[in-house]
Amino acid sequence: MTTLLIALLILLLAALGAPLFALVAAVAWLGLHSAGYDETLLAAQFWSLTEMPVLIAIPLFTLAGYLLSESKAPQRLLRLSEALLGWLHGGLAIVALLVCAFFTAFTGASGVTIIAFGALLLPALRQAGYPERFSYGVVTTAPSLGMLFAPSVPLILYGIVAQQLSTTPSVSINDMFAAGVLPGLMMIAVVSAYSMWRAPKRSHDIPFSLAEARAAVWDARWELPLPVILIGGVYGGVFATSEAAAVVALYVLFVTVVVRREISLVRLPSVLRDSMMLVGAILLILGVSLALTNVIIDAEIPARLIEWVSAHVDSKLAFLLLLNLFLLLLGMMLDVFSATVIMVPILLPIAMHYGVHPVHLGIMFLANMEIGYFMPPMGMNLFIASYRFDKPVLTLARSCLPFFWLLLGCVLVITYFPSLSLVWID
Amino acid sequence: MKSGIGGALRLINTVENVLIAALALALIVLSGLQIVLRLLDHGLIWLDPLLRVLVIWVALLGAVAAARSDKHISLDVVGKLLHGKALRVARVFAFGFASLMSFALLRASLGLIEIDRESATILFGTVPTWWAELILPFAFGMLTLRFALRAFAVPERSVMAP
Repeated sequence: MTTLLIALLILLLAALGAPLFALVAAVAWLGLHSAGYDETLLAAQFWSLTEMPVLIAIPLFTLAGYLLSESKAPQRLLRLSEALLGWLHGGLAIVALLVCAFFTAFTGASGVTIIAFGALLLPALRQAGYPERFSYGVVTTAPSLGMLFAPSVPLILYGIVAQQLSTTPSVSINDMFAAGVLPGLMMIAVVSAYSMWRAPKRSHDIPFSLAEARAAVWDARWELPLPVILIGGVYGGVFATSEAAAVVALYVLFVTVVVRREISLVRLPSVLRDSMMLVGAILLILGVSLALTNVIIDAEIPARLIEWVSAHVDSKLAFLLLLNLFLLLLGMMLDVFSATVIMVPILLPIAMHYGVHPVHLGIMFLANMEIGYFMPPMGMNLFIASYRFDKPVLTLARSCLPFFWLLLGCVLVITYFPSLSLVWID
Repeated sequence: MKSGIGGALRLINTVENVLIAALALALIVLSGLQIVLRLLDHGLIWLDPLLRVLVIWVALLGAVAAARSDKHISLDVVGKLLHGKALRVARVFAFGFASLMSFALLRASLGLIEIDRESATILFGTVPTWWAELILPFAFGMLTLRFALRAFAVPERSVMAP
């Protein structure tokens, strides 16, 4: 009875807009108390964040992402992709997809990408004659598409959480980086194909010019080494994840502040602060979730859930289908960072009971979160875009619907064809 | 008097901003330095634990700064629908609760420091762990105060949501 009352109270507070970390802390605190532990454990678990060597990658990549999006790198990248791909039918929309994905790949915060790029991409699409709804759909959905590519923070975060649970087979951050590639590319390819189909008749948007392509490459000469550092460094195994993060952050800081001087020393502190606000919000939830995870495991909740679920769901296929539904709803309600740290400790043991590979679960989890972000009627990015473009949420929801169905198809493929995610995993 | 308080708050904000920026820069530079040193086979043993602590310091200060402008992650289902008086009442409950839980975390972290002082845990070299842990009560204390203030403050339209 009391448990039910407390659960209702927590839900009510959540609905009223209480910060998530406080809700998680409250549940963890209550759990510790009822199990007879001292509340000091809450702080001790939080402090165990300092025992995770890979954690440093999160602030470093986020810093790099914020610095890049505050510089003129977005414009240069846009110019470059326009010069290289603009001649394609539907090229401009594809350019928008790629550029958005590139930036979300750093922070994983697709809301930030909408804010940063919406004003840049939307007028360009409308001018080139793309239908209004389609254009809104592109700028609202495209930012989510970067989440499965290295070095996105959600991939790192999932790896960290899975490592805490010491699964067999284990999950390394590099596994996650490798596993996201094909599913991520598939999603981009599907939306690109749709864009080509919906593009206005007259466009070949921008005729190809070798001179412009050369100039655009030259213009982006300082940004171009970034993928090389990442792909060569991380995928190639030269650096550990945290080292690659350090190299990327240092390089981006040097280029934006010293070489290009697009972020003045006066503005630098506020860019640094803004990125650390996001990191702080994420790590605060991660810290209290560590305590919650221990409470959950101590109370043998995963074991009991496994028992309950396996009594009702008998096949892996049915389980995956239910999991998809659940994750979609979760992704609509919760941002990917909180969802990962709160739900993965519960879901991973159950999924493994059904024989789901932990890396595959990670990719499937994040892919669901991606599309939950703009799933009507409540997806978070619909509200952010509504705020950014000053359009009713309903309009944006309708604009995103075709993208939603297409990407839902991709998510199902990702779910039922694990080899897509696991092709490079031993 | 009122402007005195406003001035003090602004000063606190500025100090926070400068501190966060400085620590973030230190994080980038030191982690870069560590790679160079490692490549030269001169990796510093104490630099890794220092960096890991630095992450928590800068993140917690970032969290304190985020509370300043309602940038903490929340579900906020109702906040999108409420206006005027109803919104203000909702905020009193939501942020009052956040303040309360920050206070619980403050108490827990004071307990942790007590334990680590008594057992004289060492972070690296001669630096005791509890020195590094001082950020916990500081940050949670600040969050307790700030959420209490935000509970009664004019809401800020947050656009940061991740």
